[in-house]
Parts: sequence; structure tokens; C-alpha cells
Amino acid sequence: MDLTLWLGQSLAALAHRPDGVLAVAETVPALVDPVAAGPLQAGDWEFVAANADYLLGGTVLTVLLTVTSLVLGFLLGFPAGAIEVYGDGVLRTLVRKFGVVLRGTPIIVIMIFTYYVLPIEIPINAIVAVLTAVDAALGPTPFTVPTSVPDTFMAATLALGFRSAAYQSQIFRGALESIDEGQLAAARSIGMSRLEGIRHVVVPQALRRSVPGFQNEFTIVLKDTSIAFAIGLAELLKRSHDLFLQQTTAVLEIVLFMSLIYFVLTFAVNRTLDYGSNYFAIPGDSS
Amino acid sequence: MTVPRTNDGDGRTADEQRGDGDERTASPSSATAATDPLLRIENLHKSYGAEEVLRGVSLEIDRGDVEVLVGPSGSGKSTLLQCLNRLTEIDSGHIYLGDTEVTASETDPNEIRQQIGMVFQDINLFAHLTARKNITLGLRKVRGMSAEAARERADSELDRVGLADQADSYPAQLSGGQKQRVGIARALAMDPEVMLFDEPTSALDPELSNEVLAVMDELVDEGMTMVVVTHEMRFARGAASGITFLADGQIVERGPPDRLFENPSHERTAQFFENISHDHD
Repeated sequence: MDLTLWLGQSLAALAHRPDGVLAVAETVPALVDPVAAGPLQAGDWEFVAANADYLLGGTVLTVLLTVTSLVLGFLLGFPAGAIEVYGDGVLRTLVRKFGVVLRGTPIIVIMIFTYYVLPIEIPINAIVAVLTAVDAALGPTPFTVPTSVPDTFMAATLALGFRSAAYQSQIFRGALESIDEGQLAAARSIGMSRLEGIRHVVVPQALRRSVPGFQNEFTIVLKDTSIAFAIGLAELLKRSHDLFLQQTTAVLEIVLFMSLIYFVLTFAVNRTLDYGSNYFAIPGDSS
Repeated sequence: MTVPRTNDGDGRTADEQRGDGDERTASPSSATAATDPLLRIENLHKSYGAEEVLRGVSLEIDRGDVEVLVGPSGSGKSTLLQCLNRLTEIDSGHIYLGDTEVTASETDPNEIRQQIGMVFQDINLFAHLTARKNITLGLRKVRGMSAEAARERADSELDRVGLADQADSYPAQLSGGQKQRVGIARALAMDPEVMLFDEPTSALDPELSNEVLAVMDELVDEGMTMVVVTHEMRFARGAASGITFLADGQIVERGPPDRLFENPSHERTAQFFENISHDHD
């Protein structure tokens, strides 16, 4: 069966549902019936091509948001995982409870919270101050150091970063717990402190074992950057949306093009991580 | 660093030897300089929850002696061994290594553990490091040796256990017997005064056990002080200077191997040797 034809027909069927399930059909009553217009029109592909740089700009923002969110998630999630395994007392209880709450809240709710509720200027001002200082310290450079951070980007990074931290902490907790305790006992038996043993013996092995979980997490965060659409960040989905509102016949072409970009990104990074994982694998180790 | 055996229990000789090649901060030997035994265990108690695993164990082991601990499972042998280097903290009692009280609160366990090597039943090699790096890690991070000196030392220890050709192999690439020999080399590299062996061959096939036992026999010949938990009665018979039979967290009896094997004073000991000779032949 012709997949594209089927897709076009399905979209058309959705657009015609009396309960108006397709939100776009409601907000944009002028949406042209894709079947009447015919799916995958050459003119619509030209529209996509003409606006490719606009979409690629959104892609850059998507990638940037993925990176900042994952970095924030790692910086918070790795220590959180270690605290859950090795910590005790109030700190461990707090970390656990915080993680449970974050994992139990929809990402879009977290993002609306960070955008509309949190005093977002505070972290923005702090980061702008750092960026300005870096810019001043570097002097004239061939590239421009950004000295502003959009509040939508900041809110999206915080939401995705904290949510990712909650999940990454579980990836690292599992990996740390999977290294048998005997190795730590052996490290201590030759005079290393517990902390040295964790650092030199447990963590290097746990990081290797967390790669598959991290691949999942990377894919999830990359795709969930599209949630920033809800607070108006001009990432890939938002820009695609802007475009097919302009030329409503091109909705299928734009959705296909956008999906392809998301797919290429996740595929490429997963393959790279696979390669890295193999490169750093412990010889003879089947796990 | 070959320390001649002092089986005769001549404490003065042992003390002088310790004074010579010793880089740790020697505590000034008090008037009671006659600390004859290298390892002195006094009235050790240890409980896990309501279960008391060690119920007043006292033992003295001289420099160069090989003490084999035997007893039914759950008798407290392994716990006793882990208390000796404070991998397990005791509830009450005292442990002395020479003039240093191991169990004193001001004794740094990381310091004392360098002087007490340990070989584990589960071997516990660092899985992400080659045989050589398993040995250099402690030398580099604990001793602060240069990479080159640590490497040289590691290679000579690997040579000592007959694994010079496996320096670059990872644990998963080695047989069980080879792994355990690396484990022994890793402990020896820290220049311990005493080596603890916690059932070093019980995870291995009999033929692989033999290569490990051969290395241990060599250590015995070099005069290493050893405390060994094992069911290898052939090793015990051939190498032990004393055998301690533990049951229910207490020492039932202790003596030279010949007497304990041939003529134990306690019915419980006789019964135990009877049982394991059936299991292991």
C-alpha cells in the first residue's frame, strides 16, 4: 500500500472528525482538505525547500535545548544517583522524594511551572552575567558569544533538565548498584578510602553500564524538546507549525520533513553512542 | 623483601626485623617491648543484629606463622578475618598488629589495611582494569608511586605469581585460578606484614585451586605471616603452623596440624574433620 497516500487519507479522516480531535483543524478553520488538495504536492515540497533554512534554525535550537537539558540533567542526576546509593539521612530522603515528584509530573506541567511560576529572571540574570564576563574576557572573537538568554529557552532547559535529572539518577543508581560490592571491599583492603574506591573502581564501570539507559534518555529528551512549543519557544516543532499555518496544504510535507530531522538526529546520536560504548567496553566482558 | 621465618617464636628477632624495614610511623615501643606475636586478638565480639557471630575470640599469631582457620559454615571464620583489617568493625575486644592497635579509634583503617593484605573468596578483581593496572591502582593512588615505578612493581609481582605474560589481560579474559593469583599479587604489592586469605580457592575448580595453592605455598616458604580460612586440608596439613577450629563464634580448640588432625581433644573437632574428609575426597 502506498504509505504516503494512506497517511494523507488518515489525516483527512482525522480532520473531518465531528468532535474536532485534530486541534489544528479547530484553530485553523481555513485548513484545506488534504484530499481535495491532494497530498504531497510538488508545490508544497517547494514551500518546504524554500523555508528549509527557517526549519534548520529551529533544528539548531532543538539541538541546543537537548544539549543544555542533558547537561543539566547529568550534572544533577549523576550526584543524585550516587546519593541514592551511598548517601544517608535527610539528603538521601530529599533526593528520593524530589525524584518521585518529578517523575510523577507530566513534562508539560513542569514546563508551564518553570515558565509561568518560577522567577525565571533570577537564573537568566546569573547566566547573562557569566556570559557577559566570558565575552569581555575573550575580547574580540571570530564568533559572537551570546549575551542574552530567552526566557522560553531558560524555562524549557530547567523543565527538561530537572525532569531528565530525575530519570538519569535512576539510570546511574542502577548502574552503581550493579557493580558488586566485593570490588569496593577489595579497593578498601589495599588502603583506599571508600570515596577513592567509589571514584576509581565503581564509577568507571558504572558509567559504562549506564550508556544504554543514557541512549534512551537522550532520545526522550531530544523528542520532548518539542514540548517547548507549549511555551512558544521557536524550536523545530513551533517553526513547522508556523509554516503550515502559512500554507495549510503543506502540512503533510512539513510533518514528514520535521519527522525526518528528528529521526536523523536520534539515529545519528544513538549510533555514535553505540560506537563509543563499544570503544570503551571492557575486553572479554559480556555484560 | 624476604623476611626469614621465625617459627621458633623468638620475639626479639621479629621486633628487630620490623624495626628495620618499616616505613610506618613506629610508635615508641613501651617498656613492655615484648610484643612477641605479630597479630594479637583479644576477646573479640561481633553481632549482626540479634545474632552474635563472634563470641569472645582470642588468638595470637607469631611473625612467619601460618594459621589456618577451619570450622563449619556460619562459625564466624570469615567475619573474624574481615575484622582483622576492619572491613568489618567489631563490637568489643582488641586487635593488635605489632605495637599498633588496629581497633583503636585513632588508627586510620586505610593506613592499617596497607599492612594487612587480603585475598577474597570472590576474588574481586577490578573488572575494568588489566591485571597490571589492578596492581598499580593501589600503588599509584594509595602509595603515590610514579606510573613507571608502579608498573615495574606490578610486573615483578605478576612474575612472582607466574603471570608475567598476562599483564595486559583483563579479568574477564583470565581463568579463575589466574584471577586469584592476580588478587594475591595485588595484595602483595602493598608490602603487607600479614596476608589474610578468605577461602581463596573455594570458588575454583580443583585443578585451578592447585595453581593458587602453589603460590600460597611459595609465600609460606618466603616466611609470610598468613591467616587462612580454607577447606583445603592438604594445604593445612602441609603449611599450617597452627590450626584453629571455630564453631558458633568461639574457638573450640587450637593446635599444631598433626595433633588436631590425628588426635583432637574435642568430639566436635573430630566430627568436623570426619565430615569434610568425606566431602572433599
